[in-house]
Amino acid sequence: MIVSLKDSVKLFGISIMTCCAVTVCNLFLNYYLDLAAVAHLIDNPAAQKFYDAQLMTAKVVCAVSGGCLAATTVVMLFFYIKHYIDSHSREIGVLKALGYSDLKIAKGFFVFGASVLVGCLAGCLLSFILMPRFYELQNADGYLPDMAIRVHWTLLVFLVLLPASVFGLIAVGYSVLKLNQPCVNLLKGIVKTKGKSRDSKDKKSFLEDMRSSTLRSRKTLVFFIVFSSFCFSSMIQMSASMKDLASNMMGLMIFIIGVVLAFTTLYIAVSSVIRSNQKNITMMRVFGYDSADCKRSVLDGYRPAAYIGFVLGSVYQYALLKVMVSIVFADIEGMPDYKFDFPICFITLGVFIVVYEGIMFAYGQSMKKIPLKQIMSE
Amino acid sequence: MIEIKNLTKNYGKGESRFKALDNVSVCIKDGEFVVILGASGSGKSTFLNVISGLETIDSGSVAYDGRQLEAMNEKELTKFRRENTAYIFQQYYLLPHLTVEKNIKLGAELDNNKDFFPLIEAIGLAEKRKKFPAELSGGEQQRVAIARALAKNPKVLFLDEPTGALDESTGRLVLDYIIQLQANRGFTMIMVTHNANIAETADRIIRMNSGKIVGITENTHKKTAYEIGW
Repeated sequence: MIVSLKDSVKLFGISIMTCCAVTVCNLFLNYYLDLAAVAHLIDNPAAQKFYDAQLMTAKVVCAVSGGCLAATTVVMLFFYIKHYIDSHSREIGVLKALGYSDLKIAKGFFVFGASVLVGCLAGCLLSFILMPRFYELQNADGYLPDMAIRVHWTLLVFLVLLPASVFGLIAVGYSVLKLNQPCVNLLKGIVKTKGKSRDSKDKKSFLEDMRSSTLRSRKTLVFFIVFSSFCFSSMIQMSASMKDLASNMMGLMIFIIGVVLAFTTLYIAVSSVIRSNQKNITMMRVFGYDSADCKRSVLDGYRPAAYIGFVLGSVYQYALLKVMVSIVFADIEGMPDYKFDFPICFITLGVFIVVYEGIMFAYGQSMKKIPLKQIMSE
Repeated sequence: MIEIKNLTKNYGKGESRFKALDNVSVCIKDGEFVVILGASGSGKSTFLNVISGLETIDSGSVAYDGRQLEAMNEKELTKFRRENTAYIFQQYYLLPHLTVEKNIKLGAELDNNKDFFPLIEAIGLAEKRKKFPAELSGGEQQRVAIARALAKNPKVLFLDEPTGALDESTGRLVLDYIIQLQANRGFTMIMVTHNANIAETADRIIRMNSGKIVGITENTHKKTAYEIGW
């Protein structure tokens, strides 16, 4: 009614996110199941240790990447739904005024599960393309017996159909909660402002006030900026640090996932900041603020969040690799000790600064293109 | 003095192309209160957008004290808006996450006006200065929009149906307040409306139809906001 299948296409960020998650999880879980099937063929202690380590790796990688990406997907889904309801509040308000129940309207949001389905299917396909090479590299030293790749239909159910259905239901449930507000608020597009205003006895300028209120009112975007920087920092450093610990393919895979996730979330976050502040930016420009002022007040507040995300990512990747080397792979012979790689960290930071500031600059420029007349014609 | 000569503005392409403004010429004196009166689709809002520099000019010219608007680039236009103009819209367009005080600061800061509290008192919202727009009535929101515009001490104030979204009593209150401010401060005021009664409060009435000026009337019997019909 309000939400069509075409709308779910706009959730490409979710598709990319789920594609990454399912690619990694399907690769490791398929391998895990095939590995478990040959457990009885392992006949020496060295192979047994290697086998145990492989199983543990599969579990850890699936839990960490699958869990982390699934949680992020849920947040992203909530963010999309909230944004969708905010930007279509008048149409939804009309439906409510006509007598449609919240649940009836919310049912339409089930199609958002389609974006998850597309991502999961793409991830599944990608993992099966990568699988032969992955199996070969996982057993490059020949400790384990030869394994054939088998298709596990249960995985298709748990990694494709179930997530798509669950995310569809989550979308409906969350929409019901978000739609539970007075019809008149939706019709008038009234923005809820939480809490009391801060006393401005301080000598903050308007631009500083604007910057802090933009940040306070869009906490989800702050999360996405932190998350995208976190992905960029952790995944790139991890892939570079893994050259001594794991195969090149694994490193490359983590690198690609990190870069894709970082760019996707950063793009979504920044473009949402611009879109949701379009009226405010236009009004500022109508009154004579230039685009540099608009950029300062709307985008620059996110910079500390981005660098906090970078630091968290560095700490996370160090802790994760340290745990993997010291605990999970403790019994594996020849496993080198893992130390924090400062040169890699600084190189990644340099690249991050260039990429982040470049994207912010590009969006700052795009503010100039927002037509001033648009606000007058509404 | 605002000199507008042979102003033309087109929208659309090919068969769907239409003239929103057709060879419009008029002069507006400093400190004058002019109402642009016309029905929906007459081109009055386009006229306001173009002469205020929010929209580009296809042909013709708009000059503010000899400075040609059409010759300005984006940077110069921004500077021009910053130093000369302010706007009041029908839908207020207050920033929803900022309080009354901070919304007014948007305008005040452009003129380095640190003493804008008397303006908040003047609009009768001193008690509500910490409230957010959603917590105010329509009339109160429009009064904040007026204070925001006036806080930057504009030379020209543009108003697009400023009372269009208000009920009669609030509309009269807001209109009266604007007219008194204009009389006291002496800035040029250009207001677009479809309400012929409101036009009776102006110094001059410019009537528009189909993108053309169809009549200009000097209003010798100016009325107050409480004397006009609604």
